Amino acid sequence: MIQKKVCMVGLFGTGKTSLVQQFVHSIFSVKYHSTVGVKIDRKAVDVDGTPVTLVLWDLAGRDAAQDIPASYLRGSHAILFVVDGTRRETFDQLSELQELARAAAGEVPSLVALNKADLAEQWVLGQREEAALAAQGRHLLKTSAKSGDGVEAAFSWLARETIRDGGSAS
Amino acid sequence: MPDGRTTPPDYLGLAGEYDPTSAEFAELRELLLGEERRQLAALQQRVEAQSKNAEEVAELLPEAIALRSGRDRQLARALAPTMESAISESVRRNPREIATAIFPVLGPAIRKALAETMAALVESINRAVEHTFSFRGLAWRLEAWRTGTPYAQIVLKHALVYRVEQVFLIHAETGLPLGHAASPDLKSSNADLISGMLTAIQDFVSDSFRQQEDGRLRTFSVGELTVLVEAGPQAVLAAVVRGQPPDTLLRKLQDRLETIHLQFAAAFADFSGDPAPFEAARPLLEECLETVLSHDRPRAARPRLAWLRWAVPLVLLGGALAGLAWRSQRRWANAVARLEAEPGIQIVQARRSLGTWRFRGLKDPLAAQPAVILAGLGADTTGLDARWEPYLSLEPSLVVARARQALAVPATVTLRLGGDTLHAEGEAPLGWVARADGLSLLPPGFSVLDTRAVAAKLPADLTALRNRIEAELVLFEVGSALVAPEERGVLDSLATAFRGLQSGTRTFGYRADLALYGRTDSTGSDALNQTLSQSRVEAVSGVLVRAGIPAERLKGIPLGTANPLTGRDSLQQARLNRSVAFQVQVTREPPR
Repeated sequence: MIQKKVCMVGLFGTGKTSLVQQFVHSIFSVKYHSTVGVKIDRKAVDVDGTPVTLVLWDLAGRDAAQDIPASYLRGSHAILFVVDGTRRETFDQLSELQELARAAAGEVPSLVALNKADLAEQWVLGQREEAALAAQGRHLLKTSAKSGDGVEAAFSWLARETIRDGGSAS
Repeated sequence: MPDGRTTPPDYLGLAGEYDPTSAEFAELRELLLGEERRQLAALQQRVEAQSKNAEEVAELLPEAIALRSGRDRQLARALAPTMESAISESVRRNPREIATAIFPVLGPAIRKALAETMAALVESINRAVEHTFSFRGLAWRLEAWRTGTPYAQIVLKHALVYRVEQVFLIHAETGLPLGHAASPDLKSSNADLISGMLTAIQDFVSDSFRQQEDGRLRTFSVGELTVLVEAGPQAVLAAVVRGQPPDTLLRKLQDRLETIHLQFAAAFADFSGDPAPFEAARPLLEECLETVLSHDRPRAARPRLAWLRWAVPLVLLGGALAGLAWRSQRRWANAVARLEAEPGIQIVQARRSLGTWRFRGLKDPLAAQPAVILAGLGADTTGLDARWEPYLSLEPSLVVARARQALAVPATVTLRLGGDTLHAEGEAPLGWVARADGLSLLPPGFSVLDTRAVAAKLPADLTALRNRIEAELVLFEVGSALVAPEERGVLDSLATAFRGLQSGTRTFGYRADLALYGRTDSTGSDALNQTLSQSRVEAVSGVLVRAGIPAERLKGIPLGTANPLTGRDSLQQARLNRSVAFQVQVTREPPR
């Protein structure tokens, strides 16, 4: 069984944990975020008949008091950046986070989840922002923790990318 | 030879014309030996080619082997039978060589197996003893019953020193699990999550306390669990231990981790999430799963009065042993004293060891058997080791016994030792007394044998004669001392019998005397009767002397009316007492 380490990175309150909660196997409680700064879950994905286990490192959201520990990002096979579509600053700091991730984990496949897509009326991101990301070669996906939309697709895409990218040697 | 060339002997008379390089000679050689020369050349070529091939193969062989071994297992398969037979041949020829070679491998393995077996045995015995007879054992049974847990698990819970329940092999960089081994009773399918968390925690601690690579979290404890983390450059080995892990466990983890790094260097380099190549490391992980129970638990952990449990039986046992020892010692002392008191036994050395009584000494052949004496004391004589040298004892009882045996003393004679004289008393045949008196050499222990108090017992024929003589009674008329004519015949046969008695006793050195008792009836005066009885004795003596009995053998004893014979009535009594009666006296012939 191939296993891949996937880090979920985002600012505090972007809904990372809620996003995956219903989709993953977890044995640790949410309080790990405030203690250790990470909570680890598992997600089984099937990529064209190849079972892949994603070990999800749900990193505590960055805020003013707490930085994301670079060591947690080390060795990641893929990174899921989570942005809160209703909070502009979560988008603004994305590039900073991406830089941090690249420094720690190198060039690995990544996906930006534009979360809380169900809150359409509070949505602050427009075409311009999305286009800017796409221009950087970023892959985007709208997700909703509430409805579950886009979540499976995000994991499937990440799993596929890890297999294609680094899985060929194994 | 100065030019190194050989000149053949001149068989053909060609001396002077012989030149091996000339064309004619070459032709001749071709004609004569052409075919053989070509064969020779071909052979030479083959030989050279062979040695050249061998050299080339020698050059290429190591590389070829390495190459092929890397490609597939064909080489190993092809070589296996040869290797096997080579080894068995080597063992057959010189087993010592192989034994020496594999000893370093076998020795530790055997030692380990033995040690483990012994440890398990000791531990199970200890636990069985400890738990069967203790209050704790009962309490645990109660706990098992109360909680519905198997007793074995309760024992494990309490007796456990430590138990490695899970071992994780974790990829250092990604935190992904490479391998996991767990006790069979633990069902955990979250190795990936735990591995990740362990890595995260490691990172967290390192980051939080600003430690460098070499300062990583190695141990942390939660309740009864301790997690030992051994980190290597490529992988981390984490062991979840219940109880108190010893330092040796950490060293064991280090050792296993190093082995893994060595064996799986290539797999680490290629790792991209697939743990399959590390499946081979599972035995190394499983080796780390070990359970150690409290057969060597510190004493302080035991209840304070636990020693009582041992002390009471020990004191009882000690007391019993002391009692046995005391009894044994007393029995031994008794035995020695008894043997020492026994006449004819002298103990030179007496020693007691476990189950054996050892005696060395002297023993008179006539003394009692020591083994019989000891058996009489109730001693077990199977462990008796005794050696007795014979000697002659001068103890009175043994002197008497020896004399009795040497002199064939009749049972009717008793012997008594007084000073250096052995006194014999009782009754013995004439022959024995005569023989005893005639001995010039006496057994040791006395120098004089006194048989004077031994009554001579006549042989049967002489006894018959004596009885006949003593049955006779010569009767007289009232007031008369005249031997009646009819009594003369009686006296004649009496004289004959007495002569026979005389000659019979003389052969044993004895003398027979005949006492004649003259009596009267009670009428008349005593003086008269005395005279009358004297006259009657003399009358009978006269008859006997005339019949050939020497007068000095006859002793007249006129009794008068004294010591009368008794009869049925006064008339008969008076008649019986008007008589002369006879008594034979056999005495030793006085020494001449």
